[in-house]
Amino acid sequence: MFDFKGFSMQWYRELFHDTRMLIIVLNTIIVALLSALFSTIFGMLGALAIYNAKKRQTKNMLLSLNNVLIVSPDVIIGASFLILFTIAGVKLGFYSVLLSHIAFSIPIVVLMVLPKLMEMSPSLIDAARDLGANSWDVLTKVIIPFISPGIFAGFFMALTYSLDDFSVTFFVTGNGFSTLSVEIYSLARRGISLNINALSALLFLVTLLLVVIYHFITLRNNKASGLGVQKR
Amino acid sequence: MNVASIIQFKNVTKRFGNNPPVLDNVSFTLERGKFYTLLGPSGCGKTTILRLIAGFTEPSEGEIWFNGQKINHLPANKRQVNTVFQDYALFPHLNVFENVAFGLRIKKVKKTEIEAKVKQALSFVNLDGYEYREIREMSGGQRQRVAIARAIVNKPEMILLDEPLSALDLKLRTEMQYELRELQRRLGITFVFVTHDQEEALAMSDEIFVINNGKIQQSGTPTDIYDEPINRFVADFIGESNIVEGKMVEDYLVEFVGKKFECDDKGFNANEPVEIVIRPEDLEITTPELGRLQVRVDSQLFRGVHYEICCYDKDDNEWLVHSTKKAKVGKEIGLSFDREAIHVMRLGETEEEFDRRLETYADKGDSAQWKVN
Amino acid sequence: MESKLSRNLYSFSYFLWIVIFVILPILLIVYYSLFDIEGNFSFVNYQKFFTAVYLKMTLSSFWYAFLITVITFLIAYPTAYLLTKTKHKQFWLLLIIVPSWINLLLKAYAFLGIFGTYGVANSFLKIIGMGEQQILFTDFSFVFVSVYIFIPFMILPIFNSLNELNPTLLDAARDLGASAWTAFYRVIFPLTIDGVKSGWQVTFIPALSLFMLTRLIAGNKVITLGTAIEQQFLVTQDWGMGSTIAVFLILIMILFMFLTNTRKRGV
Ligand SMILES: Nc1ncnc2c1ncn2[C@@H]1O[C@H](COP(=O)(O)OP(=O)(O)OP(=O)(O)O)[C@@H](O)[C@H]1O
Ligand SMILES: [Mg+2]
Repeated sequence: MFDFKGFSMQWYRELFHDTRMLIIVLNTIIVALLSALFSTIFGMLGALAIYNAKKRQTKNMLLSLNNVLIVSPDVIIGASFLILFTIAGVKLGFYSVLLSHIAFSIPIVVLMVLPKLMEMSPSLIDAARDLGANSWDVLTKVIIPFISPGIFAGFFMALTYSLDDFSVTFFVTGNGFSTLSVEIYSLARRGISLNINALSALLFLVTLLLVVIYHFITLRNNKASGLGVQKR
Repeated sequence: MNVASIIQFKNVTKRFGNNPPVLDNVSFTLERGKFYTLLGPSGCGKTTILRLIAGFTEPSEGEIWFNGQKINHLPANKRQVNTVFQDYALFPHLNVFENVAFGLRIKKVKKTEIEAKVKQALSFVNLDGYEYREIREMSGGQRQRVAIARAIVNKPEMILLDEPLSALDLKLRTEMQYELRELQRRLGITFVFVTHDQEEALAMSDEIFVINNGKIQQSGTPTDIYDEPINRFVADFIGESNIVEGKMVEDYLVEFVGKKFECDDKGFNANEPVEIVIRPEDLEITTPELGRLQVRVDSQLFRGVHYEICCYDKDDNEWLVHSTKKAKVGKEIGLSFDREAIHVMRLGETEEEFDRRLETYADKGDSAQWKVN
Repeated sequence: MESKLSRNLYSFSYFLWIVIFVILPILLIVYYSLFDIEGNFSFVNYQKFFTAVYLKMTLSSFWYAFLITVITFLIAYPTAYLLTKTKHKQFWLLLIIVPSWINLLLKAYAFLGIFGTYGVANSFLKIIGMGEQQILFTDFSFVFVSVYIFIPFMILPIFNSLNELNPTLLDAARDLGASAWTAFYRVIFPLTIDGVKSGWQVTFIPALSLFMLTRLIAGNKVITLGTAIEQQFLVTQDWGMGSTIAVFLILIMILFMFLTNTRKRGV
């Protein structure tokens, strides 16, 4: 790109020599992993809550509320979370970023898990109870194994969303804490630094890797269940 | 409560929301070690009865007793009953072995014991060597056997089967009917089998419950029900029937299509309106002069073992005849039948009243004709 | 019953999330829009919003979002249509979708290089003899990059609806005497309108609220609603005004969703 004179590991060495940069990369990874983990757990519980809702209307209402964060523009999520954290007295930094990432990934996990639940024949749960399983057994031995492809897909989606997010993080990150995308943005705004190419390539590769993994997971799902939405 | 009885419904009613009841004041008793069939049209409440026995739902009113204990609120996982589901409900993430082992694992049975029991159950349903197949690699009939093995391995006191054969093709289905009946004899467990196929019910059961609109219409052995249908619904639903309106002139004399016939029924009021059932296979084709009824052949179908001949009498009543002989379409023929072939049904009679009336025949000493062999 | 209790327990955490992170933030935005910069309760922000400065900004933001959506649509529909006609359509689709997986910043960043004074675009202009131009930090570059970014999002729903279309319907239309064009606008287009609507949804609303691209590519030449919100919250620190603009953005979003509401129709 900019005066790119062939491959060189030098920029990468420089990149990681810079401890500040190293910390930012670590932050990004930790936030992504933790937010993916928590949003997967809560998203799964959410999907179960929607699935178990008795009335049609309740189900639809929960789904609409679930999708609010998906359709909302990032600026609005970012700005409203900023207000929320300030009022709640959460110091802007690691926790505010982590909480926001968990919050906006939950609905995505729900949307990944819910179709799997819907696909599951309700007689499967009856069958498990019939064979002596209590609620906990039903959840751990039947439901979770059945929807596990959706859970994995949700986890990876959450991971990707977290790594990918700039706007929301930008609002709630405060001064002392930074993630890769925010860092790239501020570097780009201040004029181009050499680091940025190496950094971008890194982020690019990580994203691509996740996407490929995600792709294979969904591919395997379709094969495994044989019931999934198979397009021609 | 008698010793042989295993499950008892006492005035059970089941409602969903404010809709009319799906089961309406149903009472019955099932005995240990018998093969029962619930038979009825779609939506009549068969599955609901099974779900009540299995414990997936609770009755709105009434009581369910199991082995002398009231079990209205006992959850499904605590009941000594296992179900074979209509869609089999095999766990797709587990292989055949693990599916069958599921219940034993829940009960924390020892590993070696599980191994032995699962192997035994699988060989019981002729699936030796299929232990490590995935469910999706099994055919419909094999899946059904896995579902049965998964139920019997737990040694339940009762197995509930919800239309387990409906997904199979005709040949496999007949084969499985034999196998199921045989399996039940070997295991000696009570089977409750749901179907809406009357032939299946007649072929397999010790006792049949005919259900319509959430009510048990009639219960009894297959021959009882076939020969002595209590009302038009049962007569129509079980096998093919010719049903015409008539009048009970006096005891042992009934009038229909403008003629009087001697019959075996009594205990009616004089000139009481009734319905008459004559089974198509009890009608025999003769010449118009010899026949007790004169009809014209309208159409004829070859059904493999017999001809199904559709005729009309002069009052436009339809008469179905099953005959091994061919008839000529458009020709006038005579139909002859025995006095026993006439079955008279009282309008709106309940099962209890029906039984009581039958008993009065026995009192008078002419019960011989009523014994069903 | 024990199962009911545990069920409620795990539903509870999800409901808590809905209340804290979905409902509460929206209420807070509305609440904050009712306070001026000093923290006094007033409707001054709403009055300000209806002054020429803000209305002009809103209109211009609308205009750009509209422009971006229309151009994206004009490119995306034919592309999606051609895609459904290709042999390995899933592969081509994937190829078009891949860029959307790449971080938005990286794409913006790449364009900084391409459009920069010494970038590829200017070398090309020099070669064809148009001389060096200021491309970066213009509204042209903003629209160009936005269209580039939104194209995959527009293609995907349109492609899906075209792909689901029963091909015999087209044959039937032709059979009934429709010309190719008539068949298109009487049969194909109406049946893919749902895909088009979702395409518009995923383009128009984000285009209204872009702020990073305006900063990096348009160099403050374009101010979208999103940029204004970011400005108020993070630069001016006037959260009241920022919230007011956000309220309007939400209203516009709801209105737009309502207008482009996709109803499933049976075929
Ligand atoms: N959960 C439910 N909520 C409301 N109505 C129900 C529910 N389950 C069953 N019903 C109603 O109860 C009636 C009897 O249903 P059931 O499943 O017992 O019929 P069935 O005899 O098994 O029919 P099929 O032969 O079609 O399986 C039906 O009218 C059905 O609509
Ligand atoms: Mg049923």
